[in-house]
Amino acid sequence: MDATGAAVLGAALVLAAVAAWWLRTRSGAVRTTGGAAVQELDVLRGLGVRPEDADLTVVQFATAFCAPCRATKARLTQLQTRHPGLAAVHVDAESELEAVRALDVRRTPTLFYLDRSGALLGRSSGAPRPDELAALVAAHAPAQGPA
Amino acid sequence: MTPIRQVDIRGPRFAAWVTTVVLAVVLLTGSGWLLAAQAVVFAVGAFAGLRYAPYGVAFRTLVAPRLGPVRETEDEAPPRFAQLVGFGFALVGTLGYLTGAPVVGAVATGLALVAALLNAAVGFCLGCELYLIVRRARPARSH
Repeated sequence: MDATGAAVLGAALVLAAVAAWWLRTRSGAVRTTGGAAVQELDVLRGLGVRPEDADLTVVQFATAFCAPCRATKARLTQLQTRHPGLAAVHVDAESELEAVRALDVRRTPTLFYLDRSGALLGRSSGAPRPDELAALVAAHAPAQGPA
Repeated sequence: MTPIRQVDIRGPRFAAWVTTVVLAVVLLTGSGWLLAAQAVVFAVGAFAGLRYAPYGVAFRTLVAPRLGPVRETEDEAPPRFAQLVGFGFALVGTLGYLTGAPVVGAVATGLALVAALLNAAVGFCLGCELYLIVRRARPARSH
């Protein structure tokens, strides 16, 4: 048996376990961002985002190699049927690298949440948890249903 | 762009488990030739497509018939890109083992194992995540 290899195997298993824990507990959480929201809005406007057209605008940065982005896109589309005030904008991160750098997008999906006034409500990296996303949408874009 | 192909989502997960076990055996035995074989497996998936990937073929012919019908499919591009990243690590590792640098071989194999295990256990595609970081690290073009 290879001692170096066995040590590396042990380290790899620990690393994978820590990463899995982080992904399960932290990834996709919506973080509220204080501060320089005005500059971020300018960058997003440059991508054709118009927050004044909807109660809540969700901007998703995605790539072709991002399976969770597809799931998130489908989830947003589904939420739009119940929440007409929700707008979703999907940005191909690879073709908008300047915006990716300006907004410090590191992972896909990264989502930005804007209210009608253009204020940045928060951002999330990694696929948002379905319940958290649904709650955020419900809080800002009322559901349309039987009155 | 090549035409978008769909694969049964259980296929890449199964392949990731097999890959994890193979890479663990590579680490325990220090076998550069076994890692070379795994590198070939990665290369087939990445360059020829997942239809031809050996573990994918094994899944379709041996495992899937026992599991029941396909419930969900996904675009081939993300798992295929992951195979390419795996190929990169396996290539470096193989060169390490076969040229007398077993620590290089073991570390590269260990990194590939972390990626494969995360893919198998939680469906997380490390290569896909790194893709954007690599792309944005390139110098900005003026346009």
